[in-house]
Amino acid sequence: MSRRRWIAPHLFLLPAGLLFVAFLAIPIVYALFLSVRGAEIADVGPFGTRQGTWVGLDNYITALTDTEFLLGFVRLLAYGAIAIPLTLGLALLFALLLDLPRVRFANFSRIAIFIPYAVPGVIASLLWGFLYLPSTSPLNWLLDAVGLPPLELLAGTSLYPSIANIAIWSGVGFNMIIIYTSLRAIPEEIYEAARLDGASERTIAWRIKIPMVAPALVLTGLFSLIGTLQLYGEPTTLRPMTNEISQTWVPLMTIYRDAFARDDIWLGAASSVLLAIGTLALSLILLRVTQRGAAGESS
Amino acid sequence: MQRRRLLTTLPAATLAALALGSCSTPALPGRSSPITLEYWAWNATQEPLVHAWNEMHPDIQVRHTDAGGGDDSAAKLVTASRAGNAPDVALVEYPTLPSLMVAGAVAEITEHVTGVDQEYVPGVWSLTSFDGATYGIPIDAGPQSLTYNKRRLDELGISVPTTWDEFAEAAAQVRASDDSSYICSWAPGEFGNFAGYAQQAGAHWWDGRGAQWTIDIAGDESLEVADFWQDLIDRDLVSTQPLLTPEWNAQLNNGQILSWPGGMWAAGVISGVAADMAGDWALAPLPQRTPGDEEVGFEGGSCTVVTTSSEHPEAAAQFATWLGIADEACRIQIEHGQYPASLRGQELTLESPPPTFMGGQSDYWEVAAQIAENTLPQISWGPNVNVANTAFQDAMSSAVNNGTPLSAGLETVESIVINDMRAVGYEVTER
Repeated sequence: MSRRRWIAPHLFLLPAGLLFVAFLAIPIVYALFLSVRGAEIADVGPFGTRQGTWVGLDNYITALTDTEFLLGFVRLLAYGAIAIPLTLGLALLFALLLDLPRVRFANFSRIAIFIPYAVPGVIASLLWGFLYLPSTSPLNWLLDAVGLPPLELLAGTSLYPSIANIAIWSGVGFNMIIIYTSLRAIPEEIYEAARLDGASERTIAWRIKIPMVAPALVLTGLFSLIGTLQLYGEPTTLRPMTNEISQTWVPLMTIYRDAFARDDIWLGAASSVLLAIGTLALSLILLRVTQRGAAGESS
Repeated sequence: MQRRRLLTTLPAATLAALALGSCSTPALPGRSSPITLEYWAWNATQEPLVHAWNEMHPDIQVRHTDAGGGDDSAAKLVTASRAGNAPDVALVEYPTLPSLMVAGAVAEITEHVTGVDQEYVPGVWSLTSFDGATYGIPIDAGPQSLTYNKRRLDELGISVPTTWDEFAEAAAQVRASDDSSYICSWAPGEFGNFAGYAQQAGAHWWDGRGAQWTIDIAGDESLEVADFWQDLIDRDLVSTQPLLTPEWNAQLNNGQILSWPGGMWAAGVISGVAADMAGDWALAPLPQRTPGDEEVGFEGGSCTVVTTSSEHPEAAAQFATWLGIADEACRIQIEHGQYPASLRGQELTLESPPPTFMGGQSDYWEVAAQIAENTLPQISWGPNVNVANTAFQDAMSSAVNNGTPLSAGLETVESIVINDMRAVGYEVTER
């Protein structure tokens, strides 16, 4: 009996455990192994032949002293400063609007806002790319019709908002659903009590709903932060359309270039480890700060 | 007892399920059953080529995969090769061949291709054979030429430039007569294009063998080319937008991009994005620095290689060679407007009608033959062209964006290439 009790949970854990080991634990160990290795040329063949060799922490030093890799994080910061607040702000706004009593077309609106999330990132980027380029953009066609100069949406200062826009467009729906679900879980009695006290819908939203969905906001904030650090698909897809996006525009693009285009998988592995550690540290700090804030509020 | 059985069978079942997904029957050597070769290649000729081969060779069947264009395909090839599951045969651009060899992805096939060198002029053969060892079979040649919108140039009354000075004049004339048009776009990401111009000017970017190299990417000849284009950019006589974007395609179709000075395969690419313009475009030799000169460099062009992962190198080499020199294969290439690298293929062009898209030019293949004949004989690439290519794209793009000199961008590329080589142990001399 007791033995059977011991078996069951472990059996249930087994599939997840196997997948975790095969697709997460082993790759992480392998990446760590690669990151302390490098190439060495043997004088064999017309162009020499590459061999693996132990290089210690050289790759980490290279990555940390590579200004382009580090500048990638600065660009992420600029991009995140636009994308994260707007995504979360719009998601919260739409969720609150949908949660208003007697709102019309609620189901239709919810699906309409969510649908962009179902469009794969590469396709969304291509689609927006066509909308941004002067000759194919309907926006510029309209501007031209009223005699205004065309907009260069993939150049200069417009570049960051243009790329952030793609992430906002596809991310708002997903975050809205999380916040909205959490809003629906708030007991109806609280609203009744508030209305009896004479609270307006705006006051209810501000004083009751937002504080009560704070955990959902922290969760969506965390997802957005991690998503930002992993920005890759949008700029990579738009890169062939403009000279302004370099191959090192964001850290993951640098990692791809080093590991595959330059065949330096070792440097790519070291940079990946650094990015993963950074992401983990930032996530922990965010969780710590928000939990402390929530605790301070309740006490 | 029961527990142990469950714990041991479950993972086994999972593994079996995983294994089923990747299951395939390996062909045993020395048997009559057909072998199957995997083949990666990217252009429009490949489907008909593979189809033709499979019809004629029931014992060696080829399965074709489009793994992306030259750069993407090369990156995937290295990765697949490390994992030991690269295709048997792959199409590779000449400039990327050395870096694939350095990565250990390409097999030497000298013993399987005896006598094939007779099918090529020595200059072309030297792109895939080094010191008597053969690593690939040349398929198509990409000598640089001027593919231009004849209808529009005629309309504007501009004659086809034969020297770079005339080209600059023509560029100014285009701007003067229609300010929405440019003679061409000099895209800062086009490494192979610039490398071709530099070759024409006499530059040798990589020179050496084994672990000893001389690098001269930012030498006088190359800087002169950079300064020429710098001047056109500064005077707004050429556009600097990337090629083959929806934007460039739209402008090309509108008759606002009037030429593409690049590899001779340009016509085939243009026909893919502007099929309606068939008959409007024509081919001319690339402009020269000195009037009367005829020499041009290579831009792109591709060869087939056998990978070190292949279990059937002999059959693979046979297929790779067939693609390069067989009449059927050359005819398919020619139909699609590619210029074959082999002597037999080039001979066949002269009895072929011009490709459909260039139908307005009856002497198309004669012009092509004349250009190809003047391709520089000694073009050599180095072990880290991939590094140079990536460095070039970013350095030149940022020069154009920030308005800094292209020549400084070229110096950056050179120092990145040299540092990369020294870091892994090459002995590098700067010229």
